[in-house]
Amino acid sequence: MEAFLGGMALLLDPKILLVVFAGTLLGIVVGALPGISGSTTTALLLPFTITMGPVPAIAFLGAIYCAANFGGSITAILVNSPGDPSASATAFDGYPMALKGEAGRALGMSAVASAIGGIFSVVVLIFAAPLLARMAYSFGPPEYFALAVFGLSMVALSGGDSAVKNLIAGAFGVMLATVGQDITTGVERYTFGVYSFTDGIEFIPVLIGLFALTELLEQAAQLGKRTALAKLGAVRLPSWADVRKCAKAISLSSVLGTFIGVLPALGATTAAMIAYVETKRWSNNKQEFGKGAIEGVAGPEAANNAAVGGAMVPTLALGIPGSTTTAIILAGLLVQGVRPGPHLFTEQPMLLYAVFSSMLLANLLYLALGLGFAKLFARITLIPPQFLWPAVFVLSVIGAYAPNQAMAEVWVAIAFGFIGFFMRRFGFSPAPLVIGLVLGKLVEETLKQSLIIFDLSWGGFLGRPIALTLFGLTALFLLAPWALQRLRARP
Amino acid sequence: MSANRVAAAAVIAVAAALFALTFGFEKMPEGLSGGFGAEAFPRLVLGVIAGLAVLLFVPGAQSEPQARIPAVVYYTAGSLLAFMALVPVAGMLGAMFVFLLGLGALWGERRAWLLLVASAAVMAAIWGVFVRGFAIQLPPGFWS
Repeated sequence: MEAFLGGMALLLDPKILLVVFAGTLLGIVVGALPGISGSTTTALLLPFTITMGPVPAIAFLGAIYCAANFGGSITAILVNSPGDPSASATAFDGYPMALKGEAGRALGMSAVASAIGGIFSVVVLIFAAPLLARMAYSFGPPEYFALAVFGLSMVALSGGDSAVKNLIAGAFGVMLATVGQDITTGVERYTFGVYSFTDGIEFIPVLIGLFALTELLEQAAQLGKRTALAKLGAVRLPSWADVRKCAKAISLSSVLGTFIGVLPALGATTAAMIAYVETKRWSNNKQEFGKGAIEGVAGPEAANNAAVGGAMVPTLALGIPGSTTTAIILAGLLVQGVRPGPHLFTEQPMLLYAVFSSMLLANLLYLALGLGFAKLFARITLIPPQFLWPAVFVLSVIGAYAPNQAMAEVWVAIAFGFIGFFMRRFGFSPAPLVIGLVLGKLVEETLKQSLIIFDLSWGGFLGRPIALTLFGLTALFLLAPWALQRLRARP
Repeated sequence: MSANRVAAAAVIAVAAALFALTFGFEKMPEGLSGGFGAEAFPRLVLGVIAGLAVLLFVPGAQSEPQARIPAVVYYTAGSLLAFMALVPVAGMLGAMFVFLLGLGALWGERRAWLLLVASAAVMAAIWGVFVRGFAIQLPPGFWS
C-alpha cells in the first residue's frame, strides 16, 4: 500500500504529469490517423524516451498505449477506417451510427466504454500483477523456458493470415535474437563482420523498420484512396438509457478484454473482435448489430482498452509481453536497464506503481479529451498522406539514428522496412517477429540453464510440474485451432 | 505455384542458408560450452522453422491471391535508398529536406509552394527539437 501511495504521489511531479498528458494526447492523435497505430508510435518514439529515465519513459509509452486504442475509434466511427487495428470491430456499428447522424452519440459511448474498460483492467493489474509475480518467485530456468515457449506459441493465435505463418515469424524473431556473441562461449554468430552486431541486433531500428517503414510502403500501395469524414455534431456523455442498454456489454467486455490481454501475445485487436461477437451473442437486440447498435460500439471499445491493462500483467510480472505494443514497451524497459519480472516488485515497487497510476490517469485524461476535442482530432485524420508519411520517414530516420548516432542503424531500419513489407505481402504479420525477438534471449538462456541443471537431459523437464503444465497448455493452444477446424469440417 | 508455396520455399531456403552458416561458427572446447555449443540453439530453432514451413506446403492451406505491387511502391522504396545515398553528400538535414519534397511530389502533391512550406516546417521542427533540444549530432554533408 505504501508503494502504491508512493507511486500515486509521483503523479504530483509536474514532469510525470506532463509526459502522461503528452503521451495521452499523442496517443489519441496517432490512434486517429489511419495507418499509424499505437505500436508504430511506441516504436517510433521509443528512442526518444531513453534520456527520460525509466518512470517517465514507461509512463509516456503506457499513456500512448492506453489512448491510441480510443483514438482508433474516432476514425473507425467517422471514416469507417480504423486508425488503430484494435478499433476494427468498432467500425461495424460505429460507422452505420455516424451515417444515421449519431456520430456524437457513438463517440461519447466509445470514450466512456474505453475509460471503464481501461480503468477496470488497471485495477486488475494492480492486484493481479503482484500475485502473479509472487507465484513466479518459485520459478527456475525450466519454468521460465516453458513460460517463454508458451508465450511464443500464443503468437499462433495473434491474428494474421495463418497460425503457421505467425509461428514461423515468431521463430525468425528468436533467430534474430541469436545475432551477436553467444553468452556462454563468446562465439560470434551471424555478425558478418559488422562490429555493431557483436552485441546483438538493436531493438529500436528493427521496431521502427517493421512498423513505421513497412507502413510507409503499405501506404504507397494505397495512394489515391480518398477519406470521407462523416458529419460530427457535439460529442456528449451517453444518456442514462444508453448506459443501461450497454451496461452488460461493457461489463462482459471489460472482463473478457482483461483476460485476453493477460494471455501472452494476444492483444487489443483479438479482444475487441471476440468482445463484439460475445456482445452480439448476449444482446437482446441482435438484429440491430451491423446497422448501428450502440452496444456494438461499447463492447469492443471496453474490451480493447481492458486488454491494455491485462497485457501489462505478464509483461511486468513475468517479462513475457502480453501484446505487440507491450513487447515494444518491454524492449523500452530493457533499453533502460530494467528487466521486468518478479524481482521488480521487491526491488523497484515505486516504478511499477508509478506505471499503474499513470495508466489510470491516462484513462481519465483521454475520457476528458475525447469528449471535449473529438471534433478537432477528427480533423487530423484529413492530413494528406503526401505530407504525413514523408514526415514519418524523417522521424523514423532520427529515431533509428539517435540512440547510437550510427547510420548503420538507419540501414537496419530500412532493411526491416522492406522485410516487413514483403512479409505482409505473403501473409506474415511482423508482430510475432517482434515478440520472438524480445523473448529470444530469454528462451535461449533459460534452455541452456535448464539443460545444465538436468545434466543435458531433456527428460529433466518431466520432473518439473509447472513446466509440464505450461508445455501442456502450449500443446493445447497449438492444436486447438486445428482440432476445431477438423470438427467443424465433419459432415 | 501458390503464394503459400512460394513463401514456404523462401522460408526453407533462408533457414537452410542460416543453418549452413552455423558450421562456420568458431568451435569451443566442450567444457566451456557445457555440451550445448553456440550453434546448437540456432540449429534447433531453424529445425522448427523448416518443419513449420513444410506445413505451408500442405494442400488446402489458405492462400489469398497476391495483388500486384503498384509501381509507386518501388519508386518509394527507391527514394528511401536515394535518401541514404544522399546523406554523405548533402548531410542528413539536407537529404531529409530533399526527401520531403521528392516523396511529396512522387505521391501526387503538385502545389510546389505548399510542399516547400510544409517541408520547411518539418525541418524547422526537426532542427529545433532534435538538433537544438536533444543536441543530436546529425551527419554533416560533403561540403559542410
